[in-house]
Amino acid sequence: MKQKNTFHVLLLFVLLTSVLSTRAQDRQVYGTVFENNNGQKAPLVGVVVKTIDGSTGTQTDVDGAYRFDVPRSTERIVFSATSYVSDTIDISRDTNEVEVVLRAVHTLKEAKVKYRRKGNEIGLLDTRKSEMISEREILKAACCNLSESFETTPSIDVSFTDAISGYKQIQMLGLAGPYTLITRENIPDVRGLSAITGLTYTPGSWIAGMQLSKGTGSVVNGYESVAGQLNIELKKPFEEKEPKAYINLYQNIQGRSEANVVLKHKFNKFLSSNLMLHGSGRWRKNDMNNDGFMDQPLNQQFVGLNRWFYFGPKGLEMQFGVKGVYVDQTGGQLNFEKGTEQVLGNPWGFSMNTKRIEGFAKIGKVFTGKKGTSTGLQLSGMHHEQSALYGVRNYDARQNMFYANWIFQTIINNTNHGLKTGLSSLIDNYHEQFENKTYTRSEVVPGAFVEYSYKYLTKFNAILGLRGDYHNLYGFFATPRLHVRYAPFKLTAIRASAGRAQRTANILAENIGYMASRRSFVVSGTDASLPYGLQPEVAWNYGINLTQKFRLNYRDGAFSADYYYTDFQNQIVVDVENPNTVNFYNLNGASYANSLQGQLDYEPIVNLDVRLAYRWYDVKTTYGGVLKRRPLVAQHRAFVNVGYETRNSWRFDYTAQWISSKRLPSLIDQVGITQPSTGAPSFFLMNAQVSKTWNERFEVYVGGENLANYLQPSPIIGASQPFGNNFDASMVWGPVMGRNIYTGIRWKINK
Amino acid sequence: MFSATNMFAQSDKNTEIVTDTLTVSGNCGSCKTRIEKAAYIKGVKRADWNKETKNLIVTYKSSKTSSDEILKSIAAAGHDSDVALATEESYEKLPNCCKYRTGTCDKE
Repeated sequence: MKQKNTFHVLLLFVLLTSVLSTRAQDRQVYGTVFENNNGQKAPLVGVVVKTIDGSTGTQTDVDGAYRFDVPRSTERIVFSATSYVSDTIDISRDTNEVEVVLRAVHTLKEAKVKYRRKGNEIGLLDTRKSEMISEREILKAACCNLSESFETTPSIDVSFTDAISGYKQIQMLGLAGPYTLITRENIPDVRGLSAITGLTYTPGSWIAGMQLSKGTGSVVNGYESVAGQLNIELKKPFEEKEPKAYINLYQNIQGRSEANVVLKHKFNKFLSSNLMLHGSGRWRKNDMNNDGFMDQPLNQQFVGLNRWFYFGPKGLEMQFGVKGVYVDQTGGQLNFEKGTEQVLGNPWGFSMNTKRIEGFAKIGKVFTGKKGTSTGLQLSGMHHEQSALYGVRNYDARQNMFYANWIFQTIINNTNHGLKTGLSSLIDNYHEQFENKTYTRSEVVPGAFVEYSYKYLTKFNAILGLRGDYHNLYGFFATPRLHVRYAPFKLTAIRASAGRAQRTANILAENIGYMASRRSFVVSGTDASLPYGLQPEVAWNYGINLTQKFRLNYRDGAFSADYYYTDFQNQIVVDVENPNTVNFYNLNGASYANSLQGQLDYEPIVNLDVRLAYRWYDVKTTYGGVLKRRPLVAQHRAFVNVGYETRNSWRFDYTAQWISSKRLPSLIDQVGITQPSTGAPSFFLMNAQVSKTWNERFEVYVGGENLANYLQPSPIIGASQPFGNNFDASMVWGPVMGRNIYTGIRWKINK
Repeated sequence: MFSATNMFAQSDKNTEIVTDTLTVSGNCGSCKTRIEKAAYIKGVKRADWNKETKNLIVTYKSSKTSSDEILKSIAAAGHDSDVALATEESYEKLPNCCKYRTGTCDKE
């Protein structure tokens, strides 16, 4: 009896281990095999499906379906049937579902591998975490250009640069906008002289979507990204979903009018073209805070873009385009007119005139015979000139830029090992004149990069990148970067990244906000041969994040948390601790930024989307030997967004956020006494929008921004005496524009 | 193990929640949006349409609606199924890239 029991236990053990070992070593592959029957897919019976080594196999049933277990080591399976061309499919990317269309012997071979991704795609599969900001998301806040497109994105903070120019700047991981690499279809876009102003050169209604990735980026896109990368995709003429014409009109109560047109034309299956136009103007003077200054300048802006796509028959792809920008602004005191002499007694004025022209090209070739192999060349040239006046100060600058990036991409043996390598070249010429001082420089940076990616099923990925660049002024430097992703469960992804970044600080263009003050610009350069006499900025960024998707009560949701740490080896410190100056110098001591964010997205009932987020920054820099919190950075921010769409296409969106206190440096008060460093009050902001769409084609929207009409009281220090010594419009911590109501239309024309 | 499965079956029975896989014609991403939107009639908990397989996986309360009702609503939005065909009028309203009967949608 006892022996029998032992035998049973033993048998059970053997069975159990064999079951477990099958589980561990085998995976099930299934799918359907079709033939192409005059454009209709018809299931194909009796097709032999087997592993490439022939160790195991099966046949398709009457519905063309098959299902069998293959050893985990299997990378390819073969489909064969008489009078059909056999096909070999790579299953190494853990595609358990494989659908194949076999061609009869006399027709061309074509097979498609399809793999099903569950639920919505916030990229659980990518090695780098990337937040997709869809067109739908951008439309939640109808306005207007890129700098205003982040109302519903908790990862990006938006604030005014000063109380005069109306420019907004973004902030990510607690670092100013220029630390984020902003690209348009992977070509560097908002940088150099336009590091702040360039956000306004991309109208929101041209955008098809954006990818936001925090932390270190890919070496393929250069060495500059410190805090992250934001890539913008414009609407593409060859995509069926884009209408032939898209018209967007916008009007707000503060006197801003805007029109956007996006046209596409498909000449034939090879050639297509886009024409995008934007015109806008602010024609009414507003002074909601009664300080005698326009809250935003009057302006006129025109942007145009034309591009051509060619898709050749042998995997050849080309794109050529041009873009032009013209902006003219006049602001300052209400009765300032352009040309008014800037002397005591006359109204204080701001004006800025910008002209910019760009040309770009992309040429790519996919080697159809060699799997996963392609090459591409990105070219971009730009001329930018601007002329600005801030009271008695003038800032005139021009930049010429040429960028080339050649990429070769292939796989090593199978798609588990990918390789990208290439060469790049960046040529930047600057000529800046600020208050009778001239700064000129030429940067020439040739570089080479290699990036290896590895994946193990859908569980583990790693990308290892290294680039070496030779800078004509700073010499050689290496940029290593690493990304790792691990997915312990199907709905869970954990990612980590680390990498180095280097950039040249454009101290004037990135700090135009301080020009709207009487602060004198003091540059403490150490080496006259370097830009502004200053060293390059060098930082290491480390990050870790978790994405967990879930389904609760049949509805999908996602939770994500991330932590990033940026450590500056050198930084060009922008020191405003003394109320009379803004000092620029090389970092001497520590400078770092900690950023922690949690976000929950859930659809509790159909078509009701809820997003809750909270983020915390700890950003400190050594100012004159003392480690202090960086001024004008909010330590906490909490965020809620609710969106609902009815069955008859009414859409409601509401966003509320709470922004915590920010540190203010020591300032001179209204009576001329220097006050110690204090904290600005915390505040709430609320936005809402309602829209209605008819026939998926015509949409009318009405919305409101800053609904509680919260204003920073007297944002301009010394507003009554703009030519006096206390004048400072750069200490902006809250909204300078009050409640704004807007309306407009979006019209898709397909005839 | 078995008792757990039973428990789930039991709770499904109590709330009469049914999951069906239905076939619905369509082409692309915008078809998906339209089909799923039409599928969410009263009583439907979840609808997922796959443009590759043309399968609509739908979860609903059987006391409140049926798969036929759901497919009728989808047909009214312009998409055919075995149960209900879209009227010429509703089909004509579809944008060009969604005209699945002609198969003109080559992209996406």
